[in-house]
Amino acid sequence: MKIKLTWRIWLWIAFIAFALISIFITPTVMQQGFMQKGVLIKSVTPDSFAFETGLRAEQVIIAIDRQPITNVDDYLEILELKSKTEKEKTTITTINSEYIIFSENLLEISVSKIPLTNLKLGLDLAGGSRAFIEAENHKLTTQEVQELKEVIENRLNAFGLSDMKITTVSDLFGNNRLSIEIAGATPKDLKELISQQGKFEAKIGNETVFVGGKSELSVTRTGSEVVVENAVPSSSSTYVSKFHFPVTLSQTAAERFAEITKDISVNATNGGEYLSKNIDFYLDDNLRESLLISSSLKGQIQPTISISGSGTGTTAEEAETAAQGEMKKLQTILITGSLPFKLTIVKLDTISSTLGNNFVKYLFLAGIVALVLVAVTIFLKYKTRAAIAPLIVCTSEIFITLGIAAFMKWDLDLMAIAGILAAIGTGVDDQIVVLDETRQKEGTKSMKQKIKNAFTIVFGAYFTSVASLLPLAWVGGGLLKGFVLTTLTGITLGVLVTRPAFADIVRLIEKENAS
Amino acid sequence: MGFFYSQNNDFFYRDISLTGGTSVTIEDKNLDIVSLENSISGKLEGANFREISDLITREQIAIIVETKSDEELTRNVLEDYLNYELTEENSSFEFTGALLSESFYQQLLFAILIAFALMSLVVFLQFRSFIPSITVIFSAFADIFMSLVVVNLLGVQLSTAGIVALLMLIGYSVDTDILLANKVLKRDGNSINNQLWTSFKTGITMTLTSIVAVLAAFLIVGPFSSILYQIFLIMLLGLVFDILNTWITSISIIKWYAINKEKKKNEN
Repeated sequence: MKIKLTWRIWLWIAFIAFALISIFITPTVMQQGFMQKGVLIKSVTPDSFAFETGLRAEQVIIAIDRQPITNVDDYLEILELKSKTEKEKTTITTINSEYIIFSENLLEISVSKIPLTNLKLGLDLAGGSRAFIEAENHKLTTQEVQELKEVIENRLNAFGLSDMKITTVSDLFGNNRLSIEIAGATPKDLKELISQQGKFEAKIGNETVFVGGKSELSVTRTGSEVVVENAVPSSSSTYVSKFHFPVTLSQTAAERFAEITKDISVNATNGGEYLSKNIDFYLDDNLRESLLISSSLKGQIQPTISISGSGTGTTAEEAETAAQGEMKKLQTILITGSLPFKLTIVKLDTISSTLGNNFVKYLFLAGIVALVLVAVTIFLKYKTRAAIAPLIVCTSEIFITLGIAAFMKWDLDLMAIAGILAAIGTGVDDQIVVLDETRQKEGTKSMKQKIKNAFTIVFGAYFTSVASLLPLAWVGGGLLKGFVLTTLTGITLGVLVTRPAFADIVRLIEKENAS
Repeated sequence: MGFFYSQNNDFFYRDISLTGGTSVTIEDKNLDIVSLENSISGKLEGANFREISDLITREQIAIIVETKSDEELTRNVLEDYLNYELTEENSSFEFTGALLSESFYQQLLFAILIAFALMSLVVFLQFRSFIPSITVIFSAFADIFMSLVVVNLLGVQLSTAGIVALLMLIGYSVDTDILLANKVLKRDGNSINNQLWTSFKTGITMTLTSIVAVLAAFLIVGPFSSILYQIFLIMLLGLVFDILNTWITSISIIKWYAINKEKKKNEN
């Protein structure tokens, strides 16, 4: 007998096809087909050499200096080799293009293996850092938090972090906060970059000459004038390394310097002639450095100023690394200026990726075992071929939910996966209702009537579930959003697509049995 | 429950995601949990220790330390003891500030209230009569309440995930109750007892299959993560209590209601 498929079943098949495409057809598959080679660029440090030549995240590197790269190990090997040779030029071949970088520093690019699917794992499964940020003693408005987002983004970019996701989250009680998810930053960097408001002021006496930020100055970050000096011992167990770099003042700031210094008296000391007042650098109201001003600069419009500081450590090398780090942070602060608020980190998570991999494996196992057990239970109860249908329908439901998650680029965290499992649970329940209603022998109801009855119950339970889950979407700073989205998607798909299809399949099977 | 509230001034024990504090997972196969506990528990506020091991080989994978102390102190104390640096490679840190977690907690309680209100509204719209609606709602409430009592007796500290699981019980609970109420109230010529019996057969199959699936998930992934452990434990408890609440309490009320309604109809 030829089985005629109903439109509901076709719709279901269409959704499965959509899920297949949205999960497995990744951008690299589009370019390379299923035999994929190379490494995916996850991020490129803004303003780096690599960035300027046009390399961007999402591109796929297939060769470096004409040597083919098939995986991350190849990439690291070449990086290692290159660090031993003094070659200034690097040729990077991507799928569509070729880039020549006049620097051997490939560390400005972070790469990963090419993902097999479009599914995105959440922080608790993939690893990484996340911070929730609030203003200290101030309730941020929607607009303030938006502005803050831009400033923070700038600051982290200026520091060299690019593989990050900054979002504003508001909750049930109208609190606004910033969520920063970041791969590859150590929490220490993140903490310092955020908890420092970064109010930089250069003062002579009580008068401010200039403050940090783009409108007042521009920072020189590379070149011979940017110096980290060799460390010298400062006591028996500590070393100090000094650094300095020039900044170019804006016209108004330079004129302000002339205006302030023109009336200051000159002191002659044995080291030379200096003004009687120093120029003091304050960071967040703490005096960091105090420098003498040469008498020749008195009343002059001074366009460049050298900013200095130091780093300490227990070895010379440690002190120099510290100085390098301090300089980078100070430059970052000077470039991006002060944050509009003093911020505090109210939540900080750093998750290693090893455990996450374990989770994924066992969640998968749990899902399969649960499905098989459900099928066995249903078979024992009904002893009919139709028992296999819930298994197929449930699997398809998981699959379509994942397809939608991939398409919408949702992060799948542990809670989201728990949500998918929960949706399957109600799915199975509803299918049992459909099975029982349609197999009812008593009464004179037609098949159509029976299925209608079943769906009254199914929809009733559906709307009740939706009503009870919806409020959670605004709780917990968006941490439960993944859960709510997948659960609602799962159960909605269930009532609109998979269960109607299931009902039709049951009808077909019963009809065939009857004939 | 009243006793519990008077003792603890709360409805349940809260874990650090709802009281504030730090949870650290140290991925070290050779770290001895007993000596770790002995030497650092005095230095961290309210610290507790747990180990997770591989499902099949039983080999230790990691040790979890939870404390009310903040991230920096916890990190320093642990690194002092371990003699190596805790990085993203060998450990995970989760820190939540006390104010934020208090706010999360308040929001969750608020969300539960809204959820119940919305759910009740939807149920009333469906049945448009008082007794069946209140039966469905009460059954959901009883499932949640009874599960919570057992969770408290077991001494489980609830996290955000645990509270979410309690809310998920609403969905599972109303399935069977709506089925029951629907079948008895719209029975289309069949006798009340017959309808009760068919809905019981269907309902019990639903709950049993769910229990089987949840039990499998609980046993396989529960040991790995306190989030999943709580979710599946609570669902398991809720489903078991749902059998009692639906097929002892709700069924009696619905039967009484249906018979009464019938009598009234006959009297008219």
